[in-house]
Amino acid sequence: MACRTICQLLQRRLASSATSVRLSAAEVRGRRSAVFSREQARQRSLYPRTEKIEVTLQIPGLQGTLLVMNKGLSTPHSCARHLTEWYVTSSALALVDGKPWSLHQPLTQSCSLSLLTFKDTDPLLVNQAYWRSCAALLGQVLLDAFKEDFSVELLRLPEVLVTSGAFCCDVVLDPQLDAWNPSEESLRSLTRGAQQLIHRDLPWEPLEVAPPVALEVFSHSSDTHLRCVFIHVYGTHTHSCLTLYLSLRCGDHVLLSGGPLVARTGLCSQYEVTAIHPLGEGKWGLHRRAQGLSLPLQQQAHHTVWRKLRSRAEKLVEVPTGSTNEAISDTLTLPSAPEQTPPHTPQQ
Amino acid sequence: MRLTIQMLISHGRVARKMGLGPESRINMLRNILTGLVRHERIETTRGRADEVRFYAEKLIDYAKKGDTDEKAMKMANFWLTEKDLIPKLFKVLAPRFETQPKAYTRMARIPNRENLDKAAMAVLEYKGNPFPPLQTAKRDNELTLINQLLKGYREQRAQQARQDVL
Repeated sequence: MACRTICQLLQRRLASSATSVRLSAAEVRGRRSAVFSREQARQRSLYPRTEKIEVTLQIPGLQGTLLVMNKGLSTPHSCARHLTEWYVTSSALALVDGKPWSLHQPLTQSCSLSLLTFKDTDPLLVNQAYWRSCAALLGQVLLDAFKEDFSVELLRLPEVLVTSGAFCCDVVLDPQLDAWNPSEESLRSLTRGAQQLIHRDLPWEPLEVAPPVALEVFSHSSDTHLRCVFIHVYGTHTHSCLTLYLSLRCGDHVLLSGGPLVARTGLCSQYEVTAIHPLGEGKWGLHRRAQGLSLPLQQQAHHTVWRKLRSRAEKLVEVPTGSTNEAISDTLTLPSAPEQTPPHTPQQ
Repeated sequence: MRLTIQMLISHGRVARKMGLGPESRINMLRNILTGLVRHERIETTRGRADEVRFYAEKLIDYAKKGDTDEKAMKMANFWLTEKDLIPKLFKVLAPRFETQPKAYTRMARIPNRENLDKAAMAVLEYKGNPFPPLQTAKRDNELTLINQLLKGYREQRAQQARQDVL
């Protein structure tokens, strides 16, 4: 009996020390991407035979057009490709049976489809999705920007209203960088990194995953606590552990998101990282909020207007944090820590 | 004067020739101007509309002086062939444009006339007329991304202005 408890204690201690071994950022990315690809392949293999589904289009001018597509393989993007090139380039989000649906997510049953653009009469969903995508891009740029010696952890991508003026991304940088404040030159180089990503026109591949898989994707993060909070922040707004999380891959990076993102990075045209504000000491170090401003290809602004919007985006954006998030994350960090011992015991 | 070839070439000459001669031109413009004052929106050829604009605005400037003014009354009497429009000019049109310093008319081009001459046509109107607008300014949807950002910007500016006042 005593032997067993000692063994368990040893396992937990050794497991925790295994997770605290710092893997290089590139390796972490590669592993996350590998898990993502594995899960994607598994979900595709759920449909071994190509079955057909009927998709009715609800686009102005093409009401009631019926498309026969493949189940589990065809995406709204492939439906748009059956129409004209304009639909492919201009559509940012899709509405499947009234639900917002990412353009690259496969369709699983016969449904009605409508493609949303930035110039619709009601582009609220598209605007919100675009803001989320720009925040995701900002997170990706920050992860890539620093040297290998410094660790960068994304805390969360808060849901901000478009009228607040800027999208935000909460990060925690390496403790060695606590005294660092970004200068204009560093912000400009971050902007350049973002512009390079935009120029590569990478698609955001979505994947709905179950919580254990999501935990596995992020299991190689350097700090278990960060990972748990990151996941539970997105779990709380649905208040259920059985919901699927939307995981997205862009290039090599995998991240979690609170809702669908737009189709690809090439849809952004004007993009600038405007500021990085320190938020104060939090549980995992100095929290910082990186903010940016962006406009899509179809809605470019004149440079005078852009300058005014940018000066507003430099100011700190207050994000209303729900108190439930913190409470639930505190109670749920403890049970999830032992969950991690099974994946790591084989290493010993 | 010397009868040169240059006299036949009209490069850089801005004054238009209309009708049979200068007097005919003035008479024609007078008729068009009377029609404009009566109906407040008329349709003519482009050249005539452009010419009348100058005289229409000058007439309003004279009307603003008031009907007791000797010169203003003489001008109104000359330019308006239908004399029942003189009270309309002084009592309706002049008060309408009291606050504006200039630009009382608006000209919009329309498709060519259907007749054999296919003349280029235009619509000339006094601003503030009771008819529905000629051209509505195409405004982008209020809910687009850039308009939402600008709305937030304007609200913030208004809030700051209010805080500065306090």
